[in-house]
Amino acid sequence: MIRILLVDDHPALRAGLTAVLRAEPGLVPLGAASSEEELWPALNRTKPDVVVLDYHVPPADGLQLCRRIKRQLTPPKVLLYSAYADAKLVIPGILAGADGVMNKSAPAGELYDAIRTVARGENVRPPVTRELLEDANARLDSDDLPILGMALDGTPEGEIARTLGLGADELTHRLERMIARLKVEVPVPRAV
Amino acid sequence: MTRMLGAVVAVLLITAHEVSDYDGWLVVATVAWTTVSLTAYASARVQDSPAMWVLDTAVVLGLIYLSTDWRSPFYIYAVTALIMPATGLAFRAAVMWSIGFVVAYLGVAIATRRFGNPFDRATRLEVAATHLLIPIIVAISLAYAADLLRRLREERQRAEQMAVQAERQRIAWELHDSAKQRVHAAHLVLSALDGRGGEIVEHALSELRAATADMDTSVAELRAPLDGRPVDVLLRERARELNVASPADIVVRGGLPDMPPLVANHTYRIAAEALTNAVRHAGASRIAVELSGDDDAASIVIRDDGGGLPEVQRPGSHGLHSMRNRAATIGARLDLQSGPEGHGTVVTLDVPLTTPTSEAVT
Repeated sequence: MIRILLVDDHPALRAGLTAVLRAEPGLVPLGAASSEEELWPALNRTKPDVVVLDYHVPPADGLQLCRRIKRQLTPPKVLLYSAYADAKLVIPGILAGADGVMNKSAPAGELYDAIRTVARGENVRPPVTRELLEDANARLDSDDLPILGMALDGTPEGEIARTLGLGADELTHRLERMIARLKVEVPVPRAV
Repeated sequence: MTRMLGAVVAVLLITAHEVSDYDGWLVVATVAWTTVSLTAYASARVQDSPAMWVLDTAVVLGLIYLSTDWRSPFYIYAVTALIMPATGLAFRAAVMWSIGFVVAYLGVAIATRRFGNPFDRATRLEVAATHLLIPIIVAISLAYAADLLRRLREERQRAEQMAVQAERQRIAWELHDSAKQRVHAAHLVLSALDGRGGEIVEHALSELRAATADMDTSVAELRAPLDGRPVDVLLRERARELNVASPADIVVRGGLPDMPPLVANHTYRIAAEALTNAVRHAGASRIAVELSGDDDAASIVIRDDGGGLPEVQRPGSHGLHSMRNRAATIGARLDLQSGPEGHGTVVTLDVPLTTPTSEAVT
């Protein structure tokens, strides 16, 4: 049995996801949070195995939230569930520690499989293509490239910090900066 | 208007009080120059031409000289020659122009030999000061008003642009944040039926996928409009971007004529989609883009050496579908063919630029 917490700011998707997951044997949706404030109490209360996390959770974004979730003592698996070009989320998703990246347009069957796969401790994500790597290369400082390389290889953060002789805080800071540079722009209404 | 008023004042004064032996001719000259100058100033180019301003000033000061006294019936008429420079020039320049005008007027006044010594009587001094200062005051007020109007117009234009931009952002946001999420939810729920729903559900699912793709395109367009830039420039930019991001070698040759905004938009999106397909899906390594056209039609031919067209459409592929829809919208002919011996693809787009009404009938 896989226990799941949903985070999405749109009610239609929360309802749809809950219904769809409940219909699948072996998957148990424990609840749905619509914002970061709702997320933490729900996370502490339910201790899920997998968090299905929308990329767009104002005012934060899914990547920042993912890092914060992963900083917990016994972090759940995180599946980034996005309506954006999912390929472009792969690299920032890996840097943020997500176990999977999934597009919202995928059919329910693929979503079930993805949840089971990340729950087993494996990764689900679109391939990191050369195009994506070159784009990342163009946007990042050359100092950050070794971190990117190791993160893509699946090296744990502690090991990256030791190898590069960085403090944990320094690495966190660098990772967050890299994510900020790589993240996908969302159309945000201008404050009037 | 003001000039006509000045002319009427001049003519009335001159008939009321004889100033020279040739008053009749002065009236004729006034009427003639009023007609000529007003006709000339009707054109926007003449309005802004300093040469015309100088000529106008010379004529009106000439009239003052011919009226033999600097306290001339033509004084008001002369001051109207300041209207165009004062409203056409920037504030500072307008004031400088009016000072120049006063100096020229003073020269004419002295030339009439009736100026005398303005300091010998208080009334005389007052009249002289008034005559010399009025042009400057008129120019300052006109320039100030014109400047305000200009700023108001600019401000309004900027506000309009910002409003359009904000509206675009809002629509993009709503499409993405609300409509698309609902479609995703519907798709997800339907897809959970997983084959049990039969053909009808499969059809609904594919429609929902197409709707998502359409919304993605609309969001992209709302966020990055062409902004009136020419299509060939944009295509070269796109080709450069793809060149950097992929192993394909893209060469763009030729140019395209100017197109109306709607046609330009669709033409660019079709061609950009064709390029993306060649790079992403056909795995082409060499892509040649040929642009051509004249005032009546434009043509884009994109040849690649990739895997050719897929036998069956990839699931979830709406690129071709949307290209065809766009082509139909602008009355263009889109032709996709596999290259010689099934290698590569040739995409041909012919866009008519003449009024499409005649074709719409047939």
